[in-house]
Amino acid sequence: MIAKASGGDSGRHLSKDEYRGLLESGFKALAGLNDIKSSVSKFLPGGTIGLKVSCLARKFNSTPVPLADALVELLIQTGISENKIIIWERTNQELESAGYALNTSAAGRKCLGTDTDGYGYSRDFYSSGPVNSLVSRILTETVDHNINLPVLKDHSIAGLSSGMKNMYGAINNPNKYHDTNCDPFVAHVSNLEPLKAKNRLSIIDAVRVQYNGGPGFDSRYLARYNGLILSDNPVAADRVALEILEHCRQQNALPSLEKAGRPAKFLKTAESIGLGTADLSKIDLKVIVKDAGGGERPGEMF
Amino acid sequence: MERRFFLRCLGCSFLASAMLQSDFFPEILGGLKSAEAYSLTKNLSSVEARYYKKLPEGGVECGICPRHCRVTDLERGYCGTRENRANVYHTLVYGLACSMNIDPIEKKPLFHFYPGTTAFSLATAGCNVNCKFCQNWDISQSRPEQTDNVDLPPKEVIAICRNQNLPTIAYTYSEPTIFYEYMYDIAELGRSNSIRSVMISNGYMETEPLKNLLPVLNAVKVDLKSIREDYYKNIVGGELKPVLDRIIQIKKSGTWLELVYLIVPTLNDTPEEFRELAGWVKTNLGTDTPLHFSRFYPQYLLKNLPPTPQKTLETAYQICRETGLEYVYLGNLPGHPAESTYCPQCGKILIERKGYRIYQNNIKGNRCYNCQRNIPGLF
Repeated sequence: MIAKASGGDSGRHLSKDEYRGLLESGFKALAGLNDIKSSVSKFLPGGTIGLKVSCLARKFNSTPVPLADALVELLIQTGISENKIIIWERTNQELESAGYALNTSAAGRKCLGTDTDGYGYSRDFYSSGPVNSLVSRILTETVDHNINLPVLKDHSIAGLSSGMKNMYGAINNPNKYHDTNCDPFVAHVSNLEPLKAKNRLSIIDAVRVQYNGGPGFDSRYLARYNGLILSDNPVAADRVALEILEHCRQQNALPSLEKAGRPAKFLKTAESIGLGTADLSKIDLKVIVKDAGGGERPGEMF
Repeated sequence: MERRFFLRCLGCSFLASAMLQSDFFPEILGGLKSAEAYSLTKNLSSVEARYYKKLPEGGVECGICPRHCRVTDLERGYCGTRENRANVYHTLVYGLACSMNIDPIEKKPLFHFYPGTTAFSLATAGCNVNCKFCQNWDISQSRPEQTDNVDLPPKEVIAICRNQNLPTIAYTYSEPTIFYEYMYDIAELGRSNSIRSVMISNGYMETEPLKNLLPVLNAVKVDLKSIREDYYKNIVGGELKPVLDRIIQIKKSGTWLELVYLIVPTLNDTPEEFRELAGWVKTNLGTDTPLHFSRFYPQYLLKNLPPTPQKTLETAYQICRETGLEYVYLGNLPGHPAESTYCPQCGKILIERKGYRIYQNNIKGNRCYNCQRNIPGLF
């Protein structure tokens, strides 16, 4: 489903409160429930919750800190202990460069990279195809349920970088997974056993979409979409994200990703190995528009 | 904790060397103490890479190896050690050694290159292939931020060699191609300080970088992992043809060359493959190029396979000798007669080896002591 904020065509980021509103609406709509606590626990039934953010592009185009803060606040409100929430990424340096304050102590929500002392990568290899990888011990040993919390952006090789591509940050050797438009590799990474078992939700920040020139930041190609994509189906979430990305490209007179030579082929591969739904016509897409006053109404994708 | 772990490994490495051959190289024990002097760094280097081009549509194309990775901003090539930063390609491992040790030159293995001497051996993280049998996968398949690194600029490497009277530097353990700039600068500085350089490589490098590197190297050992393209594709994650081309390029350059072929049970161990290999070496390199067959032990992603049977190694040896190759060796079989060098003319033992130790060396001025046959190599 998509939760969109109404108006707001400026280039500014959303505030924590605005994100919080979108998250609440999104969770309730996704769960089909009116109560936020029940909605969250439908997907996250206790345990330690990981929030895998995307910080490659530093403060310019990483998962916004207000979004992560709003999600943490929401999880706490629904009964999850703050001590059982971990915001995580590949390295501490990446987190800090995106504006996150590290916290490796036992008290409060943790915020740390896989390179933190005591974490690192699994001893065992995991594979789903020709490449084998070690997986972050934050995911394999610490987290019970993971929320994939990336930003939506163009990717020069994969075409699309959103949820599944963000999980490259959970393995030790993402550089081995970039040939042939990252296909079938994006699907293979998401199919690694710990990722498949623990990823519960994709929440993709599509507020400000970089529709070309990614994954590094390029201010020439920013569009405002003002929405969050929420789904428990990682392929469907990415498929909807692709639709938004292609729309932004079209609006700005850029060719489709396919014509640009980097189709997001991995979506069909992911579907073919049972990770989710890549056919847009089979995705039950709900769009909710959140007004500044707090009200919400059904909306259209574009 | 990580620092202690690194120093322990480093110490163990020095110690292992020392234990192996302390009667031969007592000075190595001094290295154990000096290991403590190195401090770990979390920083990666930011030195502009050589051999890349900027693409008109944005991004860069790496030209160091046949992969020719196309890399956009903030991404890395397949090796994980080269990163595009605003369309300037950088090596992240320049001056950052993640493994260093003092090894006998026989361990490389180089058998016709100053036998009985030692080499200061170093590596950085990263590799441009992904062999399923890699014995150093923990550094070769890691990105540099995942290894413990010491800040060791080229002049420090030279200083270590001078202080410890080490005649040779070996670029080894991972794949030196991916730390080309670091290797080149050390080798060039070494040359002006009368310190030799040897590259222990998979040969998966582009023509031009190799051409420019060879003048500062004294020897190259190439792991020719198979003579079949599908093995390179499925087991190595690379291509055979560029490797064969580079081997010929090295041979033609006059830089000393030796080859190693790791025999992996069921994957590259048929007599037909040994015949193809022997024929290729004879035709393209000549019968005087040393060829080492190495015994496989279960490692990394091939733990399901058994060690190579001794009989298979001996079959490979026999086939190559029958084909006419004059210097064929068997490795990882300590005590086997095929570890030693024999005169192809009179059959006398020239260099007797057991493991990495040399028990006798009867080569006098590149000639057999008995029949005066010329023995290729640097002795």
